[in-house]
Amino acid sequence: MQRALVAGILLAGLLAYLGVLVLIRKMAFFSDGIAHASLAGVAAGVLAGVNPLVTALAASIFFAVAMFVLEKKTNLSSDIVIGLIFTSGMALGVLLMSMKAGYQPELIGFLFGNILTINRSDLALMIVLTFVIGSFLAANWRRFTLLSLDHEMAYLSGMNPDLFQLVLYVLLAVSVVLGIKILGVILVSALLIIPVSISKLISRSFKRLVFLSIGFSEVIMVLGLLISSQFDFPPGAVIVLTGTAIFFVTLLLRRA
Amino acid sequence: MDKPVIEVQHLSVTFNGRTVLSDLNFTLREGEIAALLGPNGSGKTTLIRTVLGLVPYRGRVLIYGRPVQDALRNIGYVPQKFEFDRTVPITVGEFLRMPFPRISRRKILRVLHEVDLKDYEDRPMGPLSGGQMQRVLMARSLVNDPSLLLLDEATSEVDTAGAKSFYEIISHLRTVHRTTVVLVSHEIQMVYKFADQIVCLNRDLICFGRPKEAITKEVLEKLYGKEVHFKEHQH
Repeated sequence: MQRALVAGILLAGLLAYLGVLVLIRKMAFFSDGIAHASLAGVAAGVLAGVNPLVTALAASIFFAVAMFVLEKKTNLSSDIVIGLIFTSGMALGVLLMSMKAGYQPELIGFLFGNILTINRSDLALMIVLTFVIGSFLAANWRRFTLLSLDHEMAYLSGMNPDLFQLVLYVLLAVSVVLGIKILGVILVSALLIIPVSISKLISRSFKRLVFLSIGFSEVIMVLGLLISSQFDFPPGAVIVLTGTAIFFVTLLLRRA
Repeated sequence: MDKPVIEVQHLSVTFNGRTVLSDLNFTLREGEIAALLGPNGSGKTTLIRTVLGLVPYRGRVLIYGRPVQDALRNIGYVPQKFEFDRTVPITVGEFLRMPFPRISRRKILRVLHEVDLKDYEDRPMGPLSGGQMQRVLMARSLVNDPSLLLLDEATSEVDTAGAKSFYEIISHLRTVHRTTVVLVSHEIQMVYKFADQIVCLNRDLICFGRPKEAITKEVLEKLYGKEVHFKEHQH
């Protein structure tokens, strides 16, 4: 539980900030696609006897770069490209899983999230990557926000928008996969979407949107983990439903 | 003679095999206000975007004698279309500061005052009208004191008074700071009054020169057809 709390608190902040960019760029489907496609990496790790989190991260980076290249080099729209990667990655995952006989609890853990499977090396990897990605985003938040708001202005301000877009895809993919251990492939994108959705209901400025998103994300994560441990419920589902409940309460309070 | 700011040499642009601009040649000099005239689809926006380096082209485009990528920080730009999700909570001040983090608050307030949005710094962008949004974009194009301004129908949604005050700002910038301005506009009377150079486009360069010499009956017919007439007002 302690490990889950540390990992959860770190990831909640990171995913909340990325969620703001996801909201502006309308990329919710991207994160969902990456999470599902990373199942191929998880299955490859299980099959090869390697830490599945590491192979899932490698797969997510590969898929993020593939999406970027396909978007740039073809006339296919972004949602079509994501759909292609989403289903292909999942299909590869299912195929690889079929090669290993018997029940695989590790695989089920990745699908639905399982905090008990976060071992020391997973936690170390999560802490290091969250710190590296968080620091990079903090140093470049203005660039990433500008890129998300206005691609042409980003170019005119002297940025290389394509390079930053590729970096954003990779960082987003890695961050989403880091959250899979807690929330699972199916639910992880909720942590990108729900906190920023709540904050958007009550924000008039961008600064407020970012800070409230991070705040709500931490509350959702801690509350969700505590409730799930108290009642022995699956943490991923409880975290998502806690967020959903806060969303509707905020909506009702706003209207009142 | 004033130094050249934009040099366009044998510029051609094609999209999917269709020629949009064909072998353009002209030079604009420091402190000049140049107006791009031409019917819809004549390549005005493409020319602006090409000068900015946003469109692949054949030929040569130099800004201050260098490739545009080396001169981007000197350029202010107002696009014809600005796709902005109005549901994103961001204030006018935050929006203006985003590309220019080192700009002072005093500067932000000054440009907002110039475009007649004096008390808008803390207002959210979402509820702004089309005209107000365009004024915000104008303010953003002025915020880093650009020495070259590219304005693609920057006043199309602004009312007459707003458009007039914007042309006065441009005229003031030219007089005081020697700012070079390239603007796309359909307001021929306004252009006639404020522009030093006219660039008439209809895929090819139809005319280039001072308004009095460039805007002739024949040129207007070539651009817009026989129905369009222009009467010069004497003030």
